[in-house]
Amino acid sequence: MIYFDSAATTFQKPPAVASAMQEALKTMSSPGRGGYPAAMRAAETAFQCRSELAELFGVGNPERVVFTSNATHGLNIAIQSLVPPGGRVVVSGYEHNAVTRPLEALKADVVTAEAPLFDQQAVIAAFDRFVGPGVDAVVCNHISNVFGFILPIEKIAAICQERGVPMIIDASQSAGVLRLEMDRLGAAFIAMPGHKGLYGPQGTGVLLCGENVPVKPLMQGGTGSLSMQQEMPDFLPDRLEAGTHNVPGIAGLLAGVRFVRQRGMTDILDRERRLTLLAVEGLRAIPGVKVFAMPGLRAQAGVLSFVPEHKDVEEIGGGLAESGIAVRSGIHCAPFAHRSAGTLDTGTVRLSFSDFNTREEVYRLLSVLPGLLR
Amino acid sequence: MDYYLILARSVTYAQRMQWALERVGLRCQIYRAPRELTDLGCAYAVQLAAADLKTALIALHREALDPVQIFLNQRGIFREVGHDLL
Repeated sequence: MIYFDSAATTFQKPPAVASAMQEALKTMSSPGRGGYPAAMRAAETAFQCRSELAELFGVGNPERVVFTSNATHGLNIAIQSLVPPGGRVVVSGYEHNAVTRPLEALKADVVTAEAPLFDQQAVIAAFDRFVGPGVDAVVCNHISNVFGFILPIEKIAAICQERGVPMIIDASQSAGVLRLEMDRLGAAFIAMPGHKGLYGPQGTGVLLCGENVPVKPLMQGGTGSLSMQQEMPDFLPDRLEAGTHNVPGIAGLLAGVRFVRQRGMTDILDRERRLTLLAVEGLRAIPGVKVFAMPGLRAQAGVLSFVPEHKDVEEIGGGLAESGIAVRSGIHCAPFAHRSAGTLDTGTVRLSFSDFNTREEVYRLLSVLPGLLR
Repeated sequence: MDYYLILARSVTYAQRMQWALERVGLRCQIYRAPRELTDLGCAYAVQLAAADLKTALIALHREALDPVQIFLNQRGIFREVGHDLL
């Protein structure tokens, strides 16, 4: 199978990920639940993973690295910690349902900082206009999961810091490919999956928490600390980590993080962008295909959408699947992004790359696609 | 042999303490805190040699890692000691 759906989950993982998970299953129990070797090995793995994530993302204290089950889980914690029912929130026009559904559940007053696709200056101007007194939080995607649009997160963070508005960053597509410095950005929270650009297994995620930011647990339960107390501990990570940890997942995530650190985020992004550019050029040569990319892939990472002008996107996705090529078609859980780009009626076919894709795989896609468009 | 137990609020905090102490060359171990030492329920503690306490407290203070409590074990008997040993 040729796999171009890494924006959902990276499917090909470094071999060390599966090995680490298998080793964890054989030798580790649960961190914070005992002083015996299996529990302490689990605790060491969890701490090592927190520490390496803290180094990678510029978090001063590994206790502020919280394990979640995915980015959605982290975003829900972040949103519920900062946004009261009916609160006012400014979001970009490229948010995922992982952001907009929790806000809808809170009946939040959501203001969308709308901007055309790939226009970073317009994004900055829109946030500049809406962020101010009365806003409880800003939530912003770093990279659009549909179009690969890189949002100018540093400029938006600066606006938020200047105006005292807490910011939540959805790093679902950027963690592992773009530099993110939590403490320098001054973000309240950064949520990310473990199973995409960090090459960990499904069921892992990370929530980076700002210093002294109030956090509201989604779940209450055992933490292996302050057991006589009936309220959740008031310190991290325990406050947000009720119940038994996904230790094999954390061990796999640690192996994935080490792979990313060893390869280097810049090299991974460069590789993915080269493949994206190759796909853009090839798709543009095929009649009846509308491709969403700017010259030189300006403001775009390794995610690419296209629309077949005379075919349904699901038909193309299905046809590619029958040819052994995995892509994602439809709305990608992001109606906001499609509304911003004008593709809500059609949806798009999305290609998203990882460090394991090759040029030959892109050529194969480009050779199969014309037959499906006829 | 006499030793100190420095109580931590969680296993992660104890691990941070261990790292901070190892960075200044002190050897230490993390253990479950004896039940008799804390009425807070489950806890972890860092054990270190009696001679290392002063260096340890300086290192922990520098990293804002304040102990919950400190106990001296002499001949098998624990006695709480103050944080102001520096």
